[in-house]
Amino acid sequence: MSEHRHALEKQFDRILGEYGAAISRLAFSYEAVASVREELVQEIALAIWQALAHFRGECSERTFVYRIAHNRGLSHVWRRRPPHQPLEELEESDQPVDPRPHPEEQAARTDQRVRLMSAIQSLPVTHRQMIVLMLEGLSHAEIAEVMGITENNVAVRLTRARKALKDALGVRS
Amino acid sequence: MIEDRELDSWREQWSSVAEPPAEFQRKVQQRIKRQERRFVLGNLLSVIAFLGMLLFAVLLRHQATWMGTGWWSTGVIVLVFVSAAYRIWFSRGTWRPQTQSTRAFVELWHKRVTARIRLLRISIYLSLGWIIFCAVLTAANWATIGQEVKAHPEEWTALLVVCVLMQYPVIWYGVVWLRRRKLAELNEVKKIMDEMDGKSLP
Repeated sequence: MSEHRHALEKQFDRILGEYGAAISRLAFSYEAVASVREELVQEIALAIWQALAHFRGECSERTFVYRIAHNRGLSHVWRRRPPHQPLEELEESDQPVDPRPHPEEQAARTDQRVRLMSAIQSLPVTHRQMIVLMLEGLSHAEIAEVMGITENNVAVRLTRARKALKDALGVRS
Repeated sequence: MIEDRELDSWREQWSSVAEPPAEFQRKVQQRIKRQERRFVLGNLLSVIAFLGMLLFAVLLRHQATWMGTGWWSTGVIVLVFVSAAYRIWFSRGTWRPQTQSTRAFVELWHKRVTARIRLLRISIYLSLGWIIFCAVLTAANWATIGQEVKAHPEEWTALLVVCVLMQYPVIWYGVVWLRRRKLAELNEVKKIMDEMDGKSLP
């Protein structure tokens, strides 16, 4: 195996280790069904591997990963129609383990989380992308890089996307 | 402040959504290997098919010309080259995006679907041209072909049926179905582009 390939594999493993959870969260916004989502996560990882050989550090690694993940998610939305399936279909295994001892509090948190995910999935694709990137803690500059738009545009769109999410959650502004 | 608390609360809920699936990395590695094997095999098969068709046509050209096989094989060679050439021509600029932003990706997607629709339209014209070419060739060589048809009518009828079945239900409707699907995809891509431009968003 060549040195270059070996270095790429090491970099890829590190990226998966570092961003695996983020990729899974992002896949959640595009796919509600666990088995299909797992497939999507793998497809995103595969797309990252394919693009990694051409990555020359023009942007941060984080931006690179989110760009590819969103692009893959977009194609997934097209291929898998109807795109929105309610998150009530979430399987038991999808629920993260909450270490808190109070079952009522745990149930309330799970309910909130399901509502949030369901609301995100019901948004138009571009609003969804803006919201996910915001929730992942990307700066306006990073979101602009991922989406290929200006920073000013990011601010405007984030406001709109946030309003749409509130509407979907039934929150009064 | 209320807004920030709201965002913090969303982030908290969001960050506890999911962990990567079990054995995630191992499965991805397996998939990469599978895909690389498929890629090599696919390219190899394409080259073999292309060379095989050319070889077949050239060999046929050297055989007896009782039904104008020379012309027929020339037709196959031209068809193969024209198909390969227009496929490459229409795929120009659709290999990879200018940048890897979502905007560039959607623009590339739009280009790819448009190129595919054009390719399918030309495929329809090409298949029509091929039918006309075969009909003209048969008519021009009817003196020899006619004798063959009279001598073996069942075989020729079977051949005709196979040709008609291949041409119409399989190729024709296949192309039409694929084109309809690509047009639907094009509409979807346009919708996403409009969303990105803020034209169709609330």
